[in-house]
Amino acid sequence: MSLESILNDAKQAILDIDEDKAVEVARQAIAEGIDPVKVLADGFSVGIRTIGDLFSRGEIFMPELILSAQAMKAAVAVLDESLVGEAAEKIGKMIFATVEGDVHDIGKGIAIALIQTQGVEVIDLGRDVPVDKIIEEAETHGAKVIGTSALLTTTMPNQEKLEIELRKRGLREKYKTIIGGAPCTQRWADKIGADAYAEDAAEGVNKVLELMKH
Amino acid sequence: MSEFFTRMGDGSGIYMTAAEIREDILKGVKEAADHGKIPDLTQEEMDYLFDIITMPGNIVGVERGREVVSTSDSGSCKMTYHANIAMERSMAVMVSEKVLGADSIDIGNMDYSYKAVKQIVHNETPVMELAQLNAVIPVLYGSMPNLGLYTKPDGPVENWSELLPLAKIDEACAAQEEAVEHAVRDMVFVAGEMYEAGADGINLDTCGASGDADFLAGLLATEKIKEKYPDLGVEIGAAGEFVLGMHGKLEYDGTRIAGLYPHKQVKLTEKAGANIFGAVVNTNTNKTFPWNIARTVTFVKACVEAAEIPVHVNVGMGVGGISMSEIPPIDVVTRADKALIEIGKADGL
Amino acid sequence: MSGIRTAGDLVLRMQLAKSMKIDDAKKYVAEKLGVKPIDLSDSDRMAEIRAKNGLGRSFDLNKLPKGIEAKFNIAKILDIKINSVDLFKMKTGIK
Repeated sequence: MSLESILNDAKQAILDIDEDKAVEVARQAIAEGIDPVKVLADGFSVGIRTIGDLFSRGEIFMPELILSAQAMKAAVAVLDESLVGEAAEKIGKMIFATVEGDVHDIGKGIAIALIQTQGVEVIDLGRDVPVDKIIEEAETHGAKVIGTSALLTTTMPNQEKLEIELRKRGLREKYKTIIGGAPCTQRWADKIGADAYAEDAAEGVNKVLELMKH
Repeated sequence: MSEFFTRMGDGSGIYMTAAEIREDILKGVKEAADHGKIPDLTQEEMDYLFDIITMPGNIVGVERGREVVSTSDSGSCKMTYHANIAMERSMAVMVSEKVLGADSIDIGNMDYSYKAVKQIVHNETPVMELAQLNAVIPVLYGSMPNLGLYTKPDGPVENWSELLPLAKIDEACAAQEEAVEHAVRDMVFVAGEMYEAGADGINLDTCGASGDADFLAGLLATEKIKEKYPDLGVEIGAAGEFVLGMHGKLEYDGTRIAGLYPHKQVKLTEKAGANIFGAVVNTNTNKTFPWNIARTVTFVKACVEAAEIPVHVNVGMGVGGISMSEIPPIDVVTRADKALIEIGKADGL
Repeated sequence: MSGIRTAGDLVLRMQLAKSMKIDDAKKYVAEKLGVKPIDLSDSDRMAEIRAKNGLGRSFDLNKLPKGIEAKFNIAKILDIKINSVDLFKMKTGIK
């Protein structure tokens, strides 16, 4: 089977929300000696990005998003087996929380579902999480990245509080931070000193992967 | 090259050339037309929108005779709770009427959910009764269906936000369907109490905030309210420009609710018996005001054209082209209002 | 539309009671008040009309109907039911 058709099948398996097919394509790619990273980047990931785009347009819904993410995870698990250590170096842990005072977590859930498909282990602390708890969990889990979501202008200051607390405790250089949520902007990220800002879940995936490299 | 002052969606001031503004207007229109599968604005409308954006003067206004009315969401509690003025809410109603010139006002509780209000409705009705004795303007009662409050540990049903990531789709859907029943019961109960306290209407605000089940709850509650209290006005306010599909399969009158944009949301709202529909289009904080207002007007125009009931566009922080800032800048607010009324043909705000 | 400074409250009542679109609501109210729709947002013109018909005003309220009293007159002139007016009648035995 040609590289092109493997990549196309990989993408289609995700769009069709077909976990069995996704696993089958991943196995076939390995059997044919195709670079797993290429299959992931140019096949499965294209499918999941398309799914993310369709979701953001209201053309597919949460159950489909979740199930396609599951299919993606199953395929990634197969590909990971063949990466022999290389993958382990790339993958890291991430803490994700909606900040204290804020109970909005739909967007966070979507971001987590997509980020997990890329082999990042995400520890979801839920919503209304105090800064102390976020730092404590990051230390406990040995996370590389801390992501926070705020959907209210009144709770955004807790993202700044996290930056201040990390600095106070001498931990700021240990972690990369990323922020998101409807009222947040790159300007806000720059102002508080966060390492990255993501406008939506799809951008969040790319930004987190970038932060994981550092 | 001359530049015009305008803003980003987060409220920060920027300068743009005429060409840049025109380009963003076109992009905003195309984005709305593409997502909503609705027509573009005409070239003439886009030219007029450009004129509105670049008009001299910090504030602008509609042509004489084009003024529209306004409803509010939790209007009277914004003075007492948000602005922290020690004032009883029926007094805030009077300030809205006599000092601010409001066309109507709604009384809302700080805990702005029907589930929470149900417990204290006996303390809410006297506020409505007093307001009704003193006020001339229509006074509504407002709150949110807020389906999320019916999930454990706050409520009786399983939490679909926890079930969905575990791919427990059937369980998550069943939990949402169960929550709809609880929410409808609470909304109808509060509406009945408010009707008996003299309310002119009930505002089911931010329907769809927890997804399609939340929107469905608003529709079903409206049906029942209209059946029991036909004279009570009902306003359904949306939560976003499309209904988020947390369930994905729920239908009303044979139409799937998830993914509906304002021009289709309003048709279900009408069918349920609501008198006014509050359309919402979200502001993108990373885009410019020309982009955001062009996109908003495109959605609103399609919605008003489809509607047989009045459409009141949500224009406040983060919606209706208004920037996501706690004090929405007046230059942006008045330009958005003018565009929504004169191009979008909104019946109210 | 400026509420009781003009005729904003009256126009809104027609939207809430009869689901009228803005132009229809203005036309209906204007006909009932015997003015043109464009007059409905003229605060000077409406001040006179509201005083004459006892429809409630922001200022200069001496001896003019206020609150529920004004709503009795609004219900009559617009030919609509107003919930609080009906309740008032019921509770006071007014027919």
